[in-house]
Formats: sequence, structure tokens, C-alpha cells
Amino acid sequence: MICIKDLYFQYKDSDRFALSDISLQIEEGEFVGIIGSSGSGKTTLTHVLNGVVPHYYGGDFYGSAVIGGLDTVTAAPTQLAQMTGSVFQDIDGQMVASVVEDELLFGLENFGLPRAEIEKRIEDALETVGIRELRYRSIFSLSGGQKQKVAIAAIVALRPRLLILDEPTGELDPKSSRMIFDMLLKLNREYGMTVVIVEQKIMLLCEYVKRLLVMDRGSVLFDGEVHEVLRNADELRRVGVNVPRVTTLADILRGRGLYRGPQPASVDEAERMVREVLPHA
Amino acid sequence: MLKFDHVSFGYGKEKIINDISFQMDKGEFAAVIGENGAGKTTLAKLCNGLLKPDKGSVTVNGLDTRTARTSKIARSVGFLFQNPDRQICQKTIREEILFGLEFTVENAAERETRCEAVLEEFGFDGSHDPFSKSRGERQRIALASLLACEPEVLILDEPTTGLDWRECMQIMALVQKRSEAGATVLMVCHDMELVQDFAKRVLVVSEGRLLGDGPMETIMTDQPLLEKASVSSAQIPALAMRLGGAFGGIFTPEDMALAIERRCAG
Amino acid sequence: MNGFLDYVPGTSALHRLNPLTKLVLSLVLCVCCFLSGNHFYVLGVIALNLLLALSAGIIRRALRILSALLKFSILLFVVQVLFIRDGAALFVLPFHIAVTDKGVLFSLLFVMRLLAATMPLAMMLSVMQMSELSGVLVEKLRIPYKYAFGLTTAIRFIPIFMAEASDIMMAQTARGVEFDTRNFFKKIKLLLPLCVPLLISSVKRVDRGAISAELRGFNCRKRGYSYHQYKMKWIDLGAGLLCAAAVCLAVIV
Repeated sequence: MICIKDLYFQYKDSDRFALSDISLQIEEGEFVGIIGSSGSGKTTLTHVLNGVVPHYYGGDFYGSAVIGGLDTVTAAPTQLAQMTGSVFQDIDGQMVASVVEDELLFGLENFGLPRAEIEKRIEDALETVGIRELRYRSIFSLSGGQKQKVAIAAIVALRPRLLILDEPTGELDPKSSRMIFDMLLKLNREYGMTVVIVEQKIMLLCEYVKRLLVMDRGSVLFDGEVHEVLRNADELRRVGVNVPRVTTLADILRGRGLYRGPQPASVDEAERMVREVLPHA
Repeated sequence: MLKFDHVSFGYGKEKIINDISFQMDKGEFAAVIGENGAGKTTLAKLCNGLLKPDKGSVTVNGLDTRTARTSKIARSVGFLFQNPDRQICQKTIREEILFGLEFTVENAAERETRCEAVLEEFGFDGSHDPFSKSRGERQRIALASLLACEPEVLILDEPTTGLDWRECMQIMALVQKRSEAGATVLMVCHDMELVQDFAKRVLVVSEGRLLGDGPMETIMTDQPLLEKASVSSAQIPALAMRLGGAFGGIFTPEDMALAIERRCAG
Repeated sequence: MNGFLDYVPGTSALHRLNPLTKLVLSLVLCVCCFLSGNHFYVLGVIALNLLLALSAGIIRRALRILSALLKFSILLFVVQVLFIRDGAALFVLPFHIAVTDKGVLFSLLFVMRLLAATMPLAMMLSVMQMSELSGVLVEKLRIPYKYAFGLTTAIRFIPIFMAEASDIMMAQTARGVEFDTRNFFKKIKLLLPLCVPLLISSVKRVDRGAISAELRGFNCRKRGYSYHQYKMKWIDLGAGLLCAAAVCLAVIV
């Protein structure tokens, strides 16, 4: 699905590389999280995936990025747009309409789908995201979490093969953030959509994604299974990424020779760990 | 220092804050938790008179918000918003800090001294353009501009939203320093780990009402209360509650490890 | 959101009109006020506006618009009256400023026209969704989609922009800027530096909005292709007759 080779990128008016030496392979149907401190290149990487770099934000681009068989540099942005869907942190900024239905219609009409197909797509997208009852509501009247769901529904309606999200829960509380992640998991599992998500909330990421990329100063520092990546707590903190507290607990227990199992990230996993260490507790 | 006396507030018929009373003394550090739409931000805005109560009264630093002007209250009450871009409006960091001081400190020489002191403390180059900085840096500039005014009360409305962990820690360290120096701090926050680490007292808000108010340790381990307000505890206290009995009162990974080790040995 | 311009949902006759009819009706009412020089006719148009608002369930908003305009109108009226020298003097103020009968009548007509002509446009936006407006502009009036989209986006941004401005004022008040002053000129002076954050946040937002639209195929759009089609109905004929009557009356009286 995604194949990036030896990628370097520098924005036009910048004096350093925003991305350097990135090689990355993501298969169809994966659910990948990206984390890193601010300025580490997370957003730029998502821009490479949807073609915003280098088509809208120009600069020096070396290496290659192939998304679903299309080379992002040579492919037309509209071709890429049909394959990928993007959701951003700025909830109000990405909306183009004042009514939910029109927000969904926007992309469908742009791509010129037949009328009968449009109706079906709208129905399906609203159903998938679980906001059927919001179809005729004014977007102003919705809560942040609902708006973000509308934004995702508008993308889902276009049936992209790759869904790219840049901190979609940045403005949401823990409960709504969880709702968004539940929905993404459903899209990934039931519809086989490939999901790449940039997220600052490490605990949430660990609970949902299988594979985690950690970025630092434009490069990929770690790339692997979440619990494996969490084994490098010191290194992660050094680059400005915190680890869940239960992971710290596991590291201490490991250091004292009490625990050897997999790294826990959630309270559930930690409970399992403690019960393993203390079978009688 | 800060007193809510049977405060209610709403737009039209809808009540966003419903009969809330509490009192904070000098030097206290309290966090306000609750889900989105519970009324946390409204509560924060009532503290310095940005919103005036419909019923009841709010007194901050001896000023009644119903009669005192917010711009006057601002001299002793600092308010940090979620989004620093609404606050920053000058071309350089120095001008930005001086702009805030202009309304709170009369003496020009005093303004200069304070500005330099804050620039030094935060490690800023005063001639830089605030808009060219990252979101986290801009939040620190907004905070610097507030702290230069040496407020006795600090209201923070989700100050760490959109920041990475390191930036978040920087902001919190600066706030804690002021708290230890005697400032009263009220912080609206979603991150329970931060609440656990920094707040001494926690206010739980749900549907405009004050559901709970007590020491951090008590609230963090009151599962029924947290569930009622649709929030979950921080990881280690949550784990301690799951494990029950012997693990009560544990809040850090270190203490938890120690307790597990002891039980292993014994 | 309690702006003057955002859509008020409803199923009244006015809401069900074809968007083009809504557009024509409001424009015709505007033009009629200027076709006729009769005070009673213009007063009639204001009354008709209020009646239409009542039927569409937006009477409270209409009255709010009216009262907001009224303040401005009074100011205009006073200025006008003082400057028109034609006609017989009704009474003379100090400095030889005469208030004349013609002056009063003309100024009255002027502000009444202002009221009667502004209301239909504001009301039209209350009963018409942005998508309807852009849809009909493209379908019936053959305006390129890009321009229609630009127009509706601009209108859609007004309330967002206003909310942002009020948030910025709040943030500045909280740091001691005296926006809560009663001195109007002082307030204006204080407002100027705030244009910076407002401008920056708006530019950022527009930029992100543009990318988001591009990524959803804005450039692929075929001319005039839209899901909704706007057909004329009997009710539109009724509205058309109303327009014709208004024009005839305006020409006669």
C-alpha cells in the first residue's frame, strides 16, 4: 500500500530537512500509529502520503514515495485524492459546508458519482460512522466529537483505500477520543481500510494500534509492534515521548527480575501482569 | 482567595452551571475534571468575570465579579487559554510581554525589569517573532506574558492541549513553581496523569453540578464518583483499585513495584 | 451561534420555495422600494417583510434585525435632515440650520427604503441553506462552481469569524485590555492590534480549508454536476405572482 524509499524533504523556505532518510513499508489493512515530539516531522510525513507534499507545499524532494502503485511526485493530486482520505486536527477548518449532508455530498459530487450511487454512499457512510440521525443537522450545532465524526464520514463516503489522520482527537476529551478510535478500528477491521494516524496521546494509541512509528528530528527512530517499541522507555523519553505509567512499572519489575512477559500498555494488561507476578493476590 | 457562592449560569433556559459552591485558599492547587460539555470552561470563565453569574456570586481576590470590571480583575488574576493564538498579538516576544504588563503595572521601569526577568526565566530571545514559533512555544509565550504580571490567582483552561509531552512538562513546571511561591491555581484538565502529579485538590463537574470536591488522593480512588462523571482514573491508581485491598493508597509506579516486591518476598 | 445570517431550519412555505424564487423574491422587494417614492408603499413593504418572517417562524430574528437597523437609521435620518436645505423651513436651529418639510420627507423615505431593502436580503439567508444558494447559482444562473463555492464559503465564514473575534476579545480582556470600557473610541483603539491574531488564525484556517477541499477532489468537479436538482413548483408560481403584484403597485403609486 505504502512504499517509501530513502525519502528526504525540505520545505521551500526552511534551512533544514523536515524529513530525512525515511524508508517505510506499510501493507494493505494495517493500522499504524505515529508519535513524536512537535517538529519531529509527523505532519510532514502524512503530507507525503496524501500528496500535499510536494504538490501544495513545495520544496526539495529526494527519494520516492509510492502509494497504492502511484508515485506521489508524478501522479496527479486528484488521482491520489481518490485513493487516500485525510482528516485533520483543526475540526472547523476542514469543513466545507454548513449541513452534514452537504459535507458528505461535497466530495461525492466533485468526483462526479452517479446520483443513485451517491445516495447509497451517504447512507452507508453515515451508518458506518454511526451518525445517521445527524444527516440534516447544521454543523454549527454539533459538539466537537460529532463534528470530527462528520469529517470522517465525509471521507469514508469516498471509500479511500488509505485513511490518513493527523491528530484527529487533538481537540477532544478522552471519552470522545475513544469513540473516534473505536470507529477507526471498525473501519480497519470490517472494511479493511488501511489507517495511518498521528496521535499525541500515547495511552490511547497503544490500546488501538498494532504498529507504532516513533519519529524524531525528521527520521523514524522506532518502527515496530507497539509493546516492543515500549521496551525503550528511556530512549522514548529522551526524544520527548512519554510512556504509559504501567510500562514504567513493568520496567521496574523487569529490572528486579520479577517479570519477563510482554510489555503492558493498558490497565487491563498491567492487571494481568501483576496477577502473573503475584498468583495469589 | 476564590469563592463560589451558590453560582448558577446559563444561556437562556439551559443551565450550564447549576448551584456550585466552593472556596479556595491562598496557595491551593486544584484541578477541575469532567467530560466535554460538563461546564468546566464556563466555570473557569466565571472565575475572573469573563462571564458573570446569573445567580449567586463569585469573589476572587476580594473582588466581586458582578461589580468589578474583568480588565481590573486581570491585574491579580491570570487566565491561560487553550489556544495561545488568541492571546498573542505583538511582533516580538518582548513587546508581547510588555503589552500584557501595560495594563497591570503602572511604572514603566518596573515593567522593563519584570519583562527581562521573565525572558530570562523562560530562556526566550525577546526579539524573536512569536508567530514563527511552534504551538508549544507559543503557549509558553502566552504563559510568560501572564506570569510577568505576577498574578495571585492563575486560571488555566486545558493549558496542555495540542502540546507534546516535553512541552507539557515545561508548562506544568512553570505553573508549579508559581504555586509553590503562593499563587492559587485552578486548572481545567483532561489528562488524569497531570492531575495526579500536580493537583492537591480535585473538583469533579458533571452536567453543570459539582459532583465531588476533595483531596486528589480521595477523588482519584473514588470509582463510583469518577464513573458518574464519565472520567477514568490515572493508570496506577486505577490498577491499584483493580487489585484491591493491600494496594490502596498507591499512586506511583515506584510504590507499586515496591508493594509487589514485598508481597513476592512475603 | 446566534448570528443574523445563519440558516434557521423550518418547513414553512418560504422555506419550501425554490432557492431561485427566494433569491428573486428578496431582490424584487429590494428593487420595489426604490421604484416607488410613496412613503406608504415602502411602509407596506416593511410590513410584508414582517408578515413573511412571521409565516417562516423567524419573526424574532426579523425584529432584531429591524431594531439593529433602526439605531443606524435614526443617526442617518438626523444627519440627512440637517443637511437638506430645500423646501419650506419647519423650524430653525441655532447656527441657521433649518429643518425643512422636504428634508424631513426625503430623509424619512431614505431610511425607510434602507430598512425595507435590507431586511429581505438578511431574511433570505435565514431561510436558505448555503448549499441551495450555491446550487441554484450554478444550475440556474450558470455561475461557475468555483465562484459560487467562494461566495458561500465567505458567507459561511462570517459567524466563525465573529466567534473567533469574540474569543480573542475575551482572551485580551482576561489579560487586562479594557474592552469592557464604556468609551467607544478607546475601545476602537484597543481593537486595532487584535486584527493581527484574527488575521493570522483566519489565514491559517482558509489555507487548511483549501487543502481539505483539494484533497476531496475540488478540482475534479464537472461543471454543473450536483446531486440536488431544484425544480419549480406551484408554490413558486404563487411567489412569482406576489413579485409581479409588488412591482406593478410600485410603478402605479
